[in-house]
Amino acid sequence: MTDCGCEKAKAELEEYLHNELRGDDATDIRDHLATCDDCSYEHLVGKTLTEVVQRACKETAPEDLRDQVLLRLRTIASGH
Amino acid sequence: MTTDTTVGPDKGPDKRTGSPEMRDLFEEQAMPFIDQLYAAAMRMTRNPSDAQDLVQETFVKAFAAFTQFEQGTNLKAWLYRILTNTFINTYRKKQREPYQGTIDELEDWQLGGAESTTAMASRSAEAEAIDHLPDSAVKDALQSIPEDFRLAVYFADVEGFSYQEIAEIMKTPIGTVMSRLHRGRRLLRELLTSYAIEQGLDAGRKAQRVTQSQNEPRSTQK
Repeated sequence: MTDCGCEKAKAELEEYLHNELRGDDATDIRDHLATCDDCSYEHLVGKTLTEVVQRACKETAPEDLRDQVLLRLRTIASGH
Repeated sequence: MTTDTTVGPDKGPDKRTGSPEMRDLFEEQAMPFIDQLYAAAMRMTRNPSDAQDLVQETFVKAFAAFTQFEQGTNLKAWLYRILTNTFINTYRKKQREPYQGTIDELEDWQLGGAESTTAMASRSAEAEAIDHLPDSAVKDALQSIPEDFRLAVYFADVEGFSYQEIAEIMKTPIGTVMSRLHRGRRLLRELLTSYAIEQGLDAGRKAQRVTQSQNEPRSTQK
């Protein structure tokens, strides 16, 4: 089957997920996802992947680092 | 009568590199990005001590070049460009990863098997299993994929940079960015899915029990 839209959707799901598709292309994928379980699950896995990576990569810079950076900037600035 | 022609009417802020005015402006605009830059540096260097050095170096370089930054353009992307450059020029040499520079040319089969994705009962089970993995497993998986793939995934999925911005940060054509992203995410998915299978997170019943015990809404840490 070539008219079911899956081929196009599968190829563009990643770009869709990253908001790289514009207007009509994004609408095509959105419409397709609404009717196709297979592609929706694929999209769900993709979205979940992004979410877990975001969650796992949260960091707070150590206070120490903040102080050191400020100190260096001030040293450079006062040298002028 | 003495007219001092060297004293001009210019009473505006001193815009020279390193002037106190520029320092204040830089601190105000750039310092809020320190947590994000540190998080990216952690994914690049893989250890807190190198990550701190890299962030410090980035701020010093950015401050030195701040007069060239065009106000109103994307400061975050500008800072990430400096961070990435500094990392590539200094730390990557030190860490000596194998295959550097040729990774984009490797065939998919050379990057690792693709058998695990189909081993999950269904993709909804796969999404759920991945969602329940501990952060440490996700970080380990990220650390184990090739560096250029890891950075592309980080820039797109964590920082939300556009493909065009990533191309500028990584100094590579957009097609390469897309390929790195695609392959990086595919490897990541395979690693996470096989980890979930190993942990038994896919076995229908067990996965359901995990879901129920974690039924409270996830706290969204900022």
